[in-house]
Amino acid sequence: MIDPPVIDLSAIAPIGSVTLGAIAVLLAEVFLTRRRRVLGREMSASYIAATLVVLSTIALAIAAYTAMAGFASGASIGFLADVPGVRLDRFSSFAIALISLAAMLSCWLSLKYLAEVEIDHGEFYALLLLSTAGMMVLVAATDFLMLFLGLELMSIPIYVLAGFDRRNLRSNESALKYFLVGSFASGLLLYGIALVYGVTGTLDFAAVRAALPPGNPLALVGIGLLIIGFAFKVSAVPFHQWTPDVYEGAPVAVTAYMSVTVKLAAFAALLRVVVGAFGDVLASLQDVFWMLSLLTILVGNVMATIQTNVKRLLAYSSVAHAGYLLMGFATGTAESYSAVLFYLLGYAFMNLGAFAVLVSLSTGGKDCERIEDLAGLARSRPGLAALLTLFAISLAGIPGTVGFTAKFFLFKASVDAGLIGLTIVAVFGSLVSVFYYLRLPVLMYMHEPGAAKLRPEAATLELLVLGLCAAAVVLLGLFPIEGPSWLGLSTLRALDWARTSAQFLF
Amino acid sequence: MVPLEHVIGLSGLLFVIGTIGALTRRNLIVILMSIELMLNAANLAFVGFARAWGQHDGHIFVLMVIVVAACEVAVGLGIVVALFRNRESVNVEDVSLLKW
Repeated sequence: MIDPPVIDLSAIAPIGSVTLGAIAVLLAEVFLTRRRRVLGREMSASYIAATLVVLSTIALAIAAYTAMAGFASGASIGFLADVPGVRLDRFSSFAIALISLAAMLSCWLSLKYLAEVEIDHGEFYALLLLSTAGMMVLVAATDFLMLFLGLELMSIPIYVLAGFDRRNLRSNESALKYFLVGSFASGLLLYGIALVYGVTGTLDFAAVRAALPPGNPLALVGIGLLIIGFAFKVSAVPFHQWTPDVYEGAPVAVTAYMSVTVKLAAFAALLRVVVGAFGDVLASLQDVFWMLSLLTILVGNVMATIQTNVKRLLAYSSVAHAGYLLMGFATGTAESYSAVLFYLLGYAFMNLGAFAVLVSLSTGGKDCERIEDLAGLARSRPGLAALLTLFAISLAGIPGTVGFTAKFFLFKASVDAGLIGLTIVAVFGSLVSVFYYLRLPVLMYMHEPGAAKLRPEAATLELLVLGLCAAAVVLLGLFPIEGPSWLGLSTLRALDWARTSAQFLF
Repeated sequence: MVPLEHVIGLSGLLFVIGTIGALTRRNLIVILMSIELMLNAANLAFVGFARAWGQHDGHIFVLMVIVVAACEVAVGLGIVVALFRNRESVNVEDVSLLKW
């Protein structure tokens, strides 16, 4: 007689709501396209798409709400009683809330764009929701099995999304490259997990930490393979070559989604693994992260300077940002981990905002992606030009924006821990980044408009996304000035959230 | 009873063959097969270790990996078919619109 396991469904409430949302979207799409009449009225394709977006928004809002409630209560709920598998504590609640928010904004961003490019199939939202559910599993995982499942559930829908414009050869190529690199990385990661399991005889992070013998060669190879697998996912140099190709080829709404959320989820999960499972061998891992971080900052920033395609430029910029984030791992203190979480929060808004501008300029014929397409934008579209300038200076880390405060906390944590050399390189990298980010405002404000064909006006939802991102970028960057308290969002408040979440790592 | 060293040796060999295949071959289908070989090498290692430790975590992991690998192949072949429709080739060197 086997006892039924004691499970607590509230631990997977956000994941469940998003998964159910995905199923609801798929069913709704089938029923609505079969019989186009609802309540006696004809439904056009745009109404169907809007319905699907509303369904996705509801699912993601429930997920974000449950995660925020979990964060407020401060409870730590494991899915299973003895070996939790998935745990909803403050750390995973923070990451889940952020991921669902970013996914929701991406959904809103896609509505008009998909119709423009004529790829408005309902699966899009279902795939987006499923991949979001995978990210939630990934960040909430407390054992290697759930980690691997979460990683695959996150990646597989994104391979499809990258190739969603399937008549477009560049979209095909993007999907193919992402798929090959992604599954190769999962292979390495999986073998790493197998070796760690072989040495310790357990899959649970806490138990692995207790059982990991120091200096065992098999364990070292395993941990190395695991780190390489993650390095592919977060696009750390030298495992970054896929990033620009995939970002460039994928439809720009998908690029917006994956550049933000995948990075969020992969870094949050890496924090969990590195601190939770390898906390006792962390000192030797820090040197590895130090090297990765140095290379990533240098290569990302230098390569970004020679790009002529905005998507590729943002791809190399995301590589560079991965480098800054890896500094937090090289530092390895509680303060640096909370700085990493704060950085992820800020990065989500500024990067999504920058891509949102591109999305709202893209037409059916082609994405707005060549850098010349933006020339003279300030004359034709002053509002969008101003917003893109705001996001560009935030990504460059100029004071008054979240890009600055995030870098400030991260660099300060590194200097406090004595990583002066790496911090100097990072500051130098930020200086280089100012050069290529400011090329965008220069083109928009100081050049004559080109012959580029851009979408004449942005949709309301796109403007909403842009407004929210811009508000977050400014409010989180006002430090040391406090914004009005009724807004509930300020630099110190967000840093406080990051700090309380990071405590749950240890 | 097969000793653990033999199981892990075979699994390591398969993994290396898979990795080299994935990195050096130019045919998409062969690359896919090489990646499958890497996953199955990990499966073999899991089974071997699970038996050595006398518990079932590794076995369960293998079942999950098999499911995931099936999903991955389904999506991967789908992508290859979509590419083949547009380009009539399964050679990775023909897939080079995006660079630098």
